[in-house]
Amino acid sequence: MDIKPILSALRRHKAGTVLIALQIALTLAIVCNALFIIQQRLAHLSEPTGVDEANTFVITNEWVGSPSSQRADAMMREDLRVLRELPGVADATSSNSFPLRGGGWDDGIKLTPDQVKDTSGAAVYFGDDHFLNTLDIPLIAGRNFRPEEITAMDVRDRLAPPVAIVTKPLADKLFPNGDAVGKTVYFVGNPTTIIGEVELLQSQSVERWASAFAWRSIIVPKRLAVSLGVFYIVRAQPGQLDAVMRAAPEALFKSNPRRIINDDDGVQSYATIRAKAYEGDRGMALLMGVICLVLLAITAAGIVGLTSFWVGQRRKQIGVRRALGATQKDILRYFMTENFLISCGGVLFGALLAIAINLWMVTRFEMHRLSLAYLLAGVLILLLLGQGAVLAPALRASRVPPVEATRSV
Amino acid sequence: MLKMTHLSKVYRTEVVETYALRDFNINVNEGEFVAVTGPSGSGKTTFLTIAGLLETFTGGQYHLDGVEVSNLNDNERSKIRNEKIGFIFQAFNLIPDLNVFDNVEVPLRYRGMKAPERKERIMNALERVGLASRAKHYPAELSGGQQQRVAIARALAGSPRLLLADEPTGNLDTQMARGVMELLEEIHREGATIVMVTHDPELAARAQRNVHIIDGQVVDLAEDPRFHQAVHAARANSPA
Ligand SMILES: Nc1ncnc2c1ncn2[C@@H]1O[C@H](COP(=O)(O)OP(=O)(O)OP(=O)(O)O)[C@@H](O)[C@H]1O
Ligand SMILES: [Mg+2]
Repeated sequence: MDIKPILSALRRHKAGTVLIALQIALTLAIVCNALFIIQQRLAHLSEPTGVDEANTFVITNEWVGSPSSQRADAMMREDLRVLRELPGVADATSSNSFPLRGGGWDDGIKLTPDQVKDTSGAAVYFGDDHFLNTLDIPLIAGRNFRPEEITAMDVRDRLAPPVAIVTKPLADKLFPNGDAVGKTVYFVGNPTTIIGEVELLQSQSVERWASAFAWRSIIVPKRLAVSLGVFYIVRAQPGQLDAVMRAAPEALFKSNPRRIINDDDGVQSYATIRAKAYEGDRGMALLMGVICLVLLAITAAGIVGLTSFWVGQRRKQIGVRRALGATQKDILRYFMTENFLISCGGVLFGALLAIAINLWMVTRFEMHRLSLAYLLAGVLILLLLGQGAVLAPALRASRVPPVEATRSV
Repeated sequence: MLKMTHLSKVYRTEVVETYALRDFNINVNEGEFVAVTGPSGSGKTTFLTIAGLLETFTGGQYHLDGVEVSNLNDNERSKIRNEKIGFIFQAFNLIPDLNVFDNVEVPLRYRGMKAPERKERIMNALERVGLASRAKHYPAELSGGQQQRVAIARALAGSPRLLLADEPTGNLDTQMARGVMELLEEIHREGATIVMVTHDPELAARAQRNVHIIDGQVVDLAEDPRFHQAVHAARANSPA
């Protein structure tokens, strides 16, 4: 195409050209980074917990009247019996926390008792012999807890589990040779033998502070017997979730009314838990998306406005070009090419700006490096946006009749 | 070369219908230099725009180079304008954003000519109008006469067989007008057919043939003594 004369003509319209190119550059820089952040949030959003989320729910049970540790343990065991016998329940367990809860207990694990630095951090889950079955997490090596290995634990007790089950990421971190089962690790100063390994169990929080041990979890054979309360995790049989979620608290109250199960969030399905856990990420992604759309719309409007203005200004010369032999297509192509050239300048500068912004965020907010694919996608979006925005005014220009050349202004 | 029979052109606006041309008949032969005269509003520009395929007409026939043009589509008309016709406008109509060289290049680019040939033709055309040294200037930096000569160079560069000029000297003083006229005569001698609208009887007299338009119709000059007088007076005054 005839780039040279278009460029020389643009040189005579510097202000408009530079303004639009800058707008395109800024939009590209922001949109690239925003899309990148959105993608990271969304990828985070769909990370699996390992739990059979479709059929599982959690009951937050608080005891009334500060029962003793022994009393709490007895009531909890009775509750578990009631829950497991409830029609439609596949299995139930109690724990100190659950994946996506937002917080819980984590601790360091060492390979030798006198090691100064931890080999790895890990999310700590309390679980009985029903824990794995309830969450529907299969063992990939070793064995499950035996009923007699499960002990109750009060807040004042020392955590000294003789055995534990770990996730594969934790096992691989501790024992890269893949032979974790049977090995002893040091956990809160005590030796603990790894008896089993599971593929996947996410840690309790998906926030940044927990990201170092996001997939490294350790399950200890404990029931949390404290006066405050406990979480019951219940897996319903397929299709029974809603019914069981209604029946379970009723059955618990019937068996023992000395408890509080909050009406609002005492019983939560995993869908709800997941939605709450990622509320912030989702909101951030949405906000960024809206900002992107608004920016793109403003840029498109700017291009439409400037091109329309230029077409109006150049009606006479369009007529002259037509008189000299330009076809309608030539005129259309002129304005499309003109926009393309401005956009190219804009995206070139914008790409540099995008990288600069990203590098700043990398150092400032521990962001990841912007991947080239996002930059290219952004460039493509803006080039297409430009061509789309310029189309209507360019078509209008192509319909200027050749006789316009003879009209005196 | 150019033949119109019973041609009419009606401009319709919401309130009125204007017959800019009615039962308009003209025949311009290859190689002729025709001057078109007539009062303001008589239809001279309308005739030229139709002749130059800038506009369509309402009725009648127009054969350009043996082709009935009313059947041509927009692309075909553009191609004929580009290859066969050169335009010279009263208001010069150079593109203000382009320098002299780029202005002359415009029709050549639409013809899809290669750069070396374009350059050669542009420089030749500019040399002929005596403006080769101004190739890098912008229209705003030139005098009216120079601008019109650039416009002529632009029309020339494509070696058109038909040159249409609408009052090419209308915005120029006598001195510059004479220069432009001499250029046109030179182009004519090299074989181009020229149709020129003018108000200037002196210039009209230098053409091979005069066509007078009144109220959208060609009138026989033999029947209009006023015009003869004007031509006679002009001839008597001219130094030649
Ligand atoms: N676009 C148009 N719409 C409506 N009427 C028009 C249009 N163009 C020309 N006319 C009318 O057609 C008639 C002929 O106009 P034209 O411009 O051809 O005259 P002209 O002979 O070139 O006049 P002048 O010597 O002043 O340039 C006039 O009455 C004019 O008002
Ligand atoms: Mg006129």
